[in-house]
Amino acid sequence: MEFLLELLTEELPASHIRSALDQLEPAFRKELADARIAVYSLRLLATPRRLVVAGDFAEGQEDREEVVAGPPLAIARGSDGVLTPAGKGFAKSQGVDEGLLEAVQTPRGEYLGFKRKSKGTPTAEILGTAVPRILGSLAFPKTMRWAETSLRFSRPIHGLLCVFGGIPVETAFGGFKATDVTVGHRIASPGPVKAGDFAAYQAALEKSFVVIDPEVRKKMIVSRIEAALEPLNAKIYADDELLDDMTFSVEHPHVVFGSFPEAYLKLPLEVLATAMREGQKLFSVVRDKIQLPYFLGVADAVEDAKGLIRRGNERVLRARLADARFFWDQDRKVPLRERAAGLKNVLFQEKLGSYEDKAQRLKKIAAYLCDKLGAAEVKADVVEAAGLCKTDLLTEMVKEFPGLQGRMGGLYAEQEGAPAVIHRAIYEHYQPGSLEDASPVSLAGAVLSIADKMDSIVGAIGVGLQVSGSSDPFGLRRNAHGVCKIVLDRKMRFSFPLLIDRVQAIYGDRLILERRAVKAACLEFFAGRLRFILEKRGFRYDLVGAALGPGVEQIADVLARVEALDALKSSPQFEPFILMAKRINNILKGLPSAKLNPDLFVEKEERELFSMFSIIRDNAQPMIARGDFVRAQSIIFKLQPILNTFFDKVLVMAEEKTVRQNRLGLLQSINKMLLEIADYSLVVVEGDRSAKPKASR
Amino acid sequence: MSVQNLILDLHRFWAGQGCYLAPTYDLEVGAGTMTPDTFFRVLDKRPWRVGYVQPSRRPDDGRYGENPHRVQKHFQYQVIIKPSPADIQDIYIHSLRSLGIALEDHDLRFDEDNWESPTIGAWGVGWQVLLDGLEITQFTYFQQCGGIELVPVPVEITYGLERLEMFLEQKDNIYDLDWSADVAYRDLRLREEKEFSEYNFSAAGVAMLRQAFNACHKEAARLAAKDLVLPAYDMCLKCSHSFNLLDSRGAISVTERVKMISQIRALVNDIARRYAGGERGA
Repeated sequence: MEFLLELLTEELPASHIRSALDQLEPAFRKELADARIAVYSLRLLATPRRLVVAGDFAEGQEDREEVVAGPPLAIARGSDGVLTPAGKGFAKSQGVDEGLLEAVQTPRGEYLGFKRKSKGTPTAEILGTAVPRILGSLAFPKTMRWAETSLRFSRPIHGLLCVFGGIPVETAFGGFKATDVTVGHRIASPGPVKAGDFAAYQAALEKSFVVIDPEVRKKMIVSRIEAALEPLNAKIYADDELLDDMTFSVEHPHVVFGSFPEAYLKLPLEVLATAMREGQKLFSVVRDKIQLPYFLGVADAVEDAKGLIRRGNERVLRARLADARFFWDQDRKVPLRERAAGLKNVLFQEKLGSYEDKAQRLKKIAAYLCDKLGAAEVKADVVEAAGLCKTDLLTEMVKEFPGLQGRMGGLYAEQEGAPAVIHRAIYEHYQPGSLEDASPVSLAGAVLSIADKMDSIVGAIGVGLQVSGSSDPFGLRRNAHGVCKIVLDRKMRFSFPLLIDRVQAIYGDRLILERRAVKAACLEFFAGRLRFILEKRGFRYDLVGAALGPGVEQIADVLARVEALDALKSSPQFEPFILMAKRINNILKGLPSAKLNPDLFVEKEERELFSMFSIIRDNAQPMIARGDFVRAQSIIFKLQPILNTFFDKVLVMAEEKTVRQNRLGLLQSINKMLLEIADYSLVVVEGDRSAKPKASR
Repeated sequence: MSVQNLILDLHRFWAGQGCYLAPTYDLEVGAGTMTPDTFFRVLDKRPWRVGYVQPSRRPDDGRYGENPHRVQKHFQYQVIIKPSPADIQDIYIHSLRSLGIALEDHDLRFDEDNWESPTIGAWGVGWQVLLDGLEITQFTYFQQCGGIELVPVPVEITYGLERLEMFLEQKDNIYDLDWSADVAYRDLRLREEKEFSEYNFSAAGVAMLRQAFNACHKEAARLAAKDLVLPAYDMCLKCSHSFNLLDSRGAISVTERVKMISQIRALVNDIARRYAGGERGA
C-alpha cells in the first residue's frame, strides 16, 4: 500500500537536505522492520522546502498466534483430567475460557496452556507513532528555534503531508497535524496542492512548478546548460559540487545564460572562476581550457521571458569583477615581501601566535624536511617561499575571496617575477584540499604543504585543541589527510616521529602540553587517519590494523605493509603462517623478555630453527629497511614449516629453567622480527575468528 | 524613484504590520542590530514590533568614493518582530511586492547564511535573500543576544537600502542614485565618503582612539555596576566604534584584537544579564 510523506519547511541548506535524506532511509527501514511491516519499496526526494518519503509498505502486521504455557500438566490437571485449583487459577489469571486450555509440549515437558491469537496492528497506526519519532530524531549540522516553540530543527516547519493508502495518517509533527495537502512553488504558484498518492503528488506539484525529484532537476539543468553551450562548442568548467548544490537550491530550475565584458578576461582564471562561483554560484564557460566571457546560472523560476534575471545577474557579476580587477591592480602595487611585515597583525591561533610566527616556523620545518628528503636543490627556494606563502592573507583579493589563499600568493609572486620554484610552491601549498584533490605537482610545493599542515596539527594538539566526533574546528583531519596523501603520492621517505619532534622543538615553549604526550597523541591521530584512508581505498580492516601494528615510523611503509598483506592474503602459505604467528604471540603474551644463547640449544629442531631464522632475518632486514614488504613477507613465510616441526618435537616450556628461557628467547626474537613487518595477531583468518572488527571513523 | 521613496514605502508597509517606527539611533553602530531598539528589546519575553532606518558604519569598507558599491557608511532598514510570525517569509515577500517588484519575472532565493556578532554575543540562523543574484536582505531568526538564549525567538529582517534601490532603478553605481527628487546621493554622500575614508585609514588619531576606548570601557563598567544599563550600553557602542576605527587604522595587534573584542563582549553580556534580570524581576 502506498505511503507518501512530505515535510514542508522554510528553505533548508543543501548540506542539511543531504544529511536528512541520508538519515531518513535507514530510520524508516529500521522503524518498519522493528514493527514487522514489510517494505516493498522506499525512495527519498527533496527540494529546498520539502523532505519527501515515498514507499510501498504492507498494509499491516501479520496476524500472530502464540502459545502461552502455564503450570506443568501434572500439577494443573488431576489424574481424572479435571482442572486442579492451580489449573483454574491459570485460566483466570490469563482471562481465558477453561474450555480452550490444552496440553502443550515444551522442551521441559508437558504443560497446561493455550493458543493466543492476536490481530496484527495496521501499518497506518504504526506510522502514526513512527513518523514523529523519525522526524524528531533527525540531526542537522546546525539547528534553530523559532517563534515560541521549543522544538529544534534545521529551519521552521510549515506543514506535514502524510498519507497511507490515500488516507491521511493520524499523526502530527512540529505542531502540524498530517493532511493530504501541500503548497506549490513559493512565487510561481503558491496555492494549495492536494495529493493522495505519489503519482498524483508529483503531477500536481509539476503543474504548480515544483519538480520534486532531484535527479530530474539535475537532468533539466545539465541538458539546458548543454543546449545553451552547443552553438559555442564550449563547456562549463566542471563543478559537481556546485551542480549538486544548485539542484538542492531550486524547486523549478531555469538556466540563465549571460555574458560579461571581455576586458575582464585579463584577470587570472582562478579569480574569474571564484568570483563567479563563490559570489554568485555561477558556472564559468570554457573552450579548450580557455575562459570565455560567459556564465551560466540556475534560477528558481519558470522562465525569464523579459530577460530580467539574466540582466540582474550580469549586473551583479560585473560589479564583482570590477571589484576583483580593482583588487588585482591594487594588490600588485605592494610586493609580497613588503607585505610580510603585516603578518604579525594576523592571528593564526590565539595560543600559537600570529602568521608571522607561523612563517618563521615554516622556514625551519621546510628546511628540515629538505635535508631529510635529500632535496638540497630546492631548499633555498622552499625556505624563501615559506616566508612569503602566507602574505597573500593581507591582500584585498584574499580578504574578499578566502578560497583563493595560497593560489593568489603564487599568482602575485609570479607577477613580481619570482623564480618558478618559489611561485609554484606558494601556489600549491594548500593542496590537496581533500583526499580527492590533487597533491602539489612540484617538490617544493609538496614540502611546503607538509610543513604548513604539520605546523597546524602539532600546534593544535600541543595546546589541547582535540578533534572529537563531528567537531574539528581547526580542520586537523583535512590537514592530516593532506600530509598522508602527499607522502603516499610522492613515496616520500622520512622519519615521521622525528618530524613531530622537530616541529615541537621549533614551537618551543608555546606548546603547553608535555612533549611525549603530544607526540603520542599526534601519532595516534595519524594512525587513525591512515586507517581511514586505507580502508577508504578498499583494504580489509584487519589487514589495515596489522599494517599499523608496527607504528607509523614511515607513513609510506604503512601503505606498503598493507599492500603486501593484501597481495599475499590468498597465497596458500598465508593462513598457516598467520595461525603460527598467532600461536607464538599467544605463548609469549605477558612473559618478561628472555635471553637467547645459541650454545644452550638441546634439540636438533631448535638449532635448525635458529639457523633458518638467522638466514631469513639477514635477508629480510634490508628489504624491510627499504619498504619492500612483499618480498620480506614472502621470505618469512618460509619459517612456517620449520616452526611447525619445532612445535611438534620441542617442548617450549621445558622443566629446566635455562632451557625454557632460551627457547622463549628464540621465539621472542622471531616475534620481534615479525612485528617489524606487521602485527599478524590482528589478521582474521578462517581458522580463527577471535579478532574483532574495530570501530573506525 | 528614490531612496527616500523606498524608505517611505517600507515605513508604510511595516507600520501596516503593526511595527512602531523608531527614529534612527544617534550613535555610530556597525549594524542596526546594535541599537537599543533591537539589542534590549529582544532580551525579554514581551512581544515587540519595530521598523527603522539606521546608518551602518564600517570604517574598513571605505573606498574613497571610488568604488561603485562599497561605502564606509550605508543605510539599513531594520525590522524586528517578536515572536517570529509563522508567515513571516510571506509577509517579507509581500513587502517586496509592495515596492512594485513583480517577483514572477525574477529569481528570489533564500540562501543559507547564519549571522553572528561576537562583539555583542549575538548569533542567529537564516539566509541572505538574493534577487537575481543580488543580496538585498539579511533574514535571521535571532537565537542569542548578549550571551542570552532568546525566548521567544525574534525574527530580524535587514534590507540594504542602497542595494535595493540600485536594483529597483537598475543602476550600477551607488552614486547615481537619487535620495529624493531634488537631492542626488552623490551630492549628499560623496564628499563624506572621501573624507571619512581618509579619516578611517590615515587621519584618525590612534592615541585619542585608544584613550576613548579605555575611558568608555571603564565608564561602561562603572555604570553597569550601578544598574544603569542603557547608558552603560551606549558606552559599549562607543568602544565598539573606536575599536573599528583603530582596526581600520591598522593599529591593533593580534593579541590586542582578541582581548578588545572579548572585553566589549564581557561588558555587553553583563549588561544584557542585568537588563533581563531586572525586567523579569519587575
